Amino acid sequence: MSVKREEVLRAAQLAEIAVPPEDVDQLVADMARIVDYVSQLGSVPDAAVDRFVPGPPKTPLRRDAVDPIPLARPPEATAPEYVDGFFVVPKLGAMGGE
Amino acid sequence: MSAIRDLAAAVADGTRPARSVAAETARALERTGGLNATLDWSAELLEAQAGAVDESATKGSLAGVPVALKDNIVTTDQPVTCGSRLLEGYRSPYNATVVERLRAAGALTAIKTNLDEFAMGSSTEHSAFGRVLHPTDPDRVPGGSSGGSAALVAAGVVPAALGSETGGSVRQPASFCGVVGIKPSYGRVSRFGLVAFGSSLDCISALGATVEDAARVLHVISGADPRDATTLAAGPVELLPPRQDLRGVTIGLPRECFPPDLDPGVRAGCDRAIAALRELGAEVREVSLTHTGYGVATYYVIAPAEASANLARYDGVRYGQRRLDGAVDVRGLYRATRGAGFGAEVKRRIVIGTYVLSSGYYDAYYAKAQRVRGLIAEDYRRLFQDDGVDYLFTPTTPTVAFRAGERTADPVAMYLADIFTVGACLAGLPAVSLPIGRSNGLPVGGQLVGPVMREAELLAVAGALEAIVPGADEVR
Repeated sequence: MSVKREEVLRAAQLAEIAVPPEDVDQLVADMARIVDYVSQLGSVPDAAVDRFVPGPPKTPLRRDAVDPIPLARPPEATAPEYVDGFFVVPKLGAMGGE
Repeated sequence: MSAIRDLAAAVADGTRPARSVAAETARALERTGGLNATLDWSAELLEAQAGAVDESATKGSLAGVPVALKDNIVTTDQPVTCGSRLLEGYRSPYNATVVERLRAAGALTAIKTNLDEFAMGSSTEHSAFGRVLHPTDPDRVPGGSSGGSAALVAAGVVPAALGSETGGSVRQPASFCGVVGIKPSYGRVSRFGLVAFGSSLDCISALGATVEDAARVLHVISGADPRDATTLAAGPVELLPPRQDLRGVTIGLPRECFPPDLDPGVRAGCDRAIAALRELGAEVREVSLTHTGYGVATYYVIAPAEASANLARYDGVRYGQRRLDGAVDVRGLYRATRGAGFGAEVKRRIVIGTYVLSSGYYDAYYAKAQRVRGLIAEDYRRLFQDDGVDYLFTPTTPTVAFRAGERTADPVAMYLADIFTVGACLAGLPAVSLPIGRSNGLPVGGQLVGPVMREAELLAVAGALEAIVPGADEVR
């Protein structure tokens, strides 16, 4: 298997996704299947080809000004909690130190 | 052939009030509710939009035409869920550019269609709100991720709908459901108001009952937008009549897209379409897209990598149904919210995307996939610019619509449904899928791919093929 259990759990941790213990085996198996499949890219010989970036050849620059954005409803209507211009989270412990 | 042209003309000359179209559409939506193709629709909003059209002195090119919206395109007056529990109840504070353009042209848009969660899937089985049924065979899938849009058009509820493509999510369901799906060049349609999945790939795309119907919608929604810096500096896609013949046109058949194990019904449909292209006077010859076999692998590194960044915002702080589940710090809140809110496929893709971007794996996967993407784009460039090929013809999908549940246990088997569609997405090219026959009653789709910015000419060729290939006939 190309990808180890601890690597999957580490990636889930970096992605800020809780994985219930009963789902771990399935996620590891699926990840291994996908990683094994995409590993075929390693067999493609490198060639002198530019990186492909779709879209306009140059990013257009906007006028250097701050314009009001007309919103149908304010941020407090969309966020779970919002007070005095701040997104609010429950009073919990400190940010995890990982 | 255009129901849209006739309907808009009747609304414009007053012989058909838009209000009656709205009422009829609402009845059709009720009648077809069992397909589970919609996540939200409103008879009141349809009626209000129709009333505004009826009372307006000027009638746009889509006056009174119902155009359904995939539920990852935001509007202020209806919820947008992206097929996810995590966004349940969310309402956007602004309208997508495409919605503003459709409404300015008189379209009735208050129909939001079901999709794979955050547009990640090829069967619409990954919607948190249940799968969409195939309109011909309820045991089968309509394709995805724009399965709700394709099913509504195929069921005749609306003449056109918007979907979005990242790897084939409009052409593949169009093929499965027997309708037309057009993916424009990357940047031809504004992404402002499309919930982001893979930002270097995402394209809002059009579905229609016919090439002309889909083209009429694409004409309205396309063109540069100052609110999306990745739009191309060009006006709308021009509407051209179908070509009368294809003399002087060279069409390439990439041999990699016609493998020995291609579904026999799909092959029979393609054989008949290829004969029709020759009959129209086109020079048809075999060509090679050398890196086609690597397209799905390339896509399943780049798209999840971009998704892992784009979906980081759904954390229970800025968006999303907040979950605590015993969390004791902010990080725990993020993880609980995302762990409970996202479905299995979305979690898989975010974790894969994070994995291929993480130190130790970035060069082997992400950087390598970017180089292979360059090779894939170069394959197309060489054919169109050096080898005298004007367009490519391929099957849209390797099989007809598969049975529900058939591929959910193996993510790679599901991903391979996109093997012939991901190339145009990776290379940013326009492509159209159109019905080319039926196999045991199930639609078969054929695909034409063209050079960047050549949508109008590509659709004129597709219109010629459509005119002589009966899409509803059995080919096998």
